Amino acid sequence: MRLSRVSFRYRRREPFVIEDVDADLAPGDVIELTGVNGAGKSTLLRLLAGLARPTRGTVSGRPAVVGFAPDRFPTDQPFTVTGYLRHMSRVRGRARWEPWAERLNMGRLLDTRLPDLSKGSAHKVGLVQALMAEPGLLILDEPFAGLDADTRSALPAIATEVAARGGVVIASDHQGGLRGLPGLRHWSVLDGHVTESAVAPPEPEERGQATVAVTVPLDELPRFLAGLRDQGYPAREIEEIR
Amino acid sequence: MIALAVFRLAAYIRSHRVHQALLLTVAMLAIVHGNRAPRGEEASVLTDGAILVLPVLAWAARSLLDTEPDRQREMSAVQVGGRGKEVAAGLLAAFAATAVLSALAMAWALLLGITGAPSPGLLTASFLLYALSALTGTALGALTSRVVLPSPAFSIMALLLGFLAMLLISGTSLYWLTVPLISWMKAANAGELVAQLPALGSISLAWCLIGLGAYVWLRRRT
Repeated sequence: MRLSRVSFRYRRREPFVIEDVDADLAPGDVIELTGVNGAGKSTLLRLLAGLARPTRGTVSGRPAVVGFAPDRFPTDQPFTVTGYLRHMSRVRGRARWEPWAERLNMGRLLDTRLPDLSKGSAHKVGLVQALMAEPGLLILDEPFAGLDADTRSALPAIATEVAARGGVVIASDHQGGLRGLPGLRHWSVLDGHVTESAVAPPEPEERGQATVAVTVPLDELPRFLAGLRDQGYPAREIEEIR
Repeated sequence: MIALAVFRLAAYIRSHRVHQALLLTVAMLAIVHGNRAPRGEEASVLTDGAILVLPVLAWAARSLLDTEPDRQREMSAVQVGGRGKEVAAGLLAAFAATAVLSALAMAWALLLGITGAPSPGLLTASFLLYALSALTGTALGALTSRVVLPSPAFSIMALLLGFLAMLLISGTSLYWLTVPLISWMKAANAGELVAQLPALGSISLAWCLIGLGAYVWLRRRT
């Protein structure tokens, strides 16, 4: 799967949320996606899932079966857990959801109505619907949020299994839940630009942050900003002085 | 895609939203067909019923499409293999719901609204008319659903104004600029419903397809 110079904005004349992203995703990759809130992580995941079309550039080679687990599962639906997962299984051509429900310790939740689920339990339903069809691309938006300890510890192994059978796993994660996995790729989203690093970057909150003002000749501005972004800093123009 | 359409219909029924449309349809039919029309009025009664039930059908289609939370709509699109299939499944489910309500309206008119037995030609024309009514309701409901018009107040106003605009425009010489509702009624009153079926049916079908095409186009990014 390849992203070629992908840019995205929601409306014309609005700034780009994702800008000039080039990336290759190979079978077996597990990718951790980090970035501050509002950096564009969820938008990038939606582009990967095919839920949004790039404003510029292309996304090619997307696997036929995609699994997508959102950060907040929509519980406002008139089904029990079993009823909902049965419907999703039929949509997926009668994929087997029961083993995944068992693996994520959902036995006692199966007859519960979706609106009555806790946040963590609802999150498990979202994970099961994403996993049931053996996706070639598994997209997890904050998969560890609200999960109990058992399920948190099961997720890295599940990601490894998906990767082992040739799938690609990409997870936006503030909590570093996948960091023990060998070969884990680290992507950071900063101001819509994606950079890859060999080691996991510490979260900005852990290091403290400062915003500096620099005055640059106008004709040097694009090169200056590009240079800072190449070094991993979220740089942007604030005002033009004539 | 069929499984996703079934899922959306099941959500519509289990959320009890279907009862609102059903009760409104029954109340409207009870009023419209409160007295059996005399012999010879069959065409008018059947046509008036198909036209008057249209806003309720549009409301039912809009309600069905709005039952699904926005995030579930995204998950459904991924599950079914793309936005296009998700949009098609939603329209299929909405048409199924409007078709059932439209069939109820036609059955009510036949059993309780008229005195004489309609001719086979009139029966066929009426069947097509009620099918077109369901399709028009689906298109109008889809174009005023939350994914297109997020504001509930603006959405319901657009639905009612859309129906009124169809009535007003189709009463003029520019009737071909919309689904020609008034033209259908005039044709029925003049006893020319079967004769004008090809022309009026073609215009109606074309506008339904344009409306559905507009919905699909508006949904290309959401």
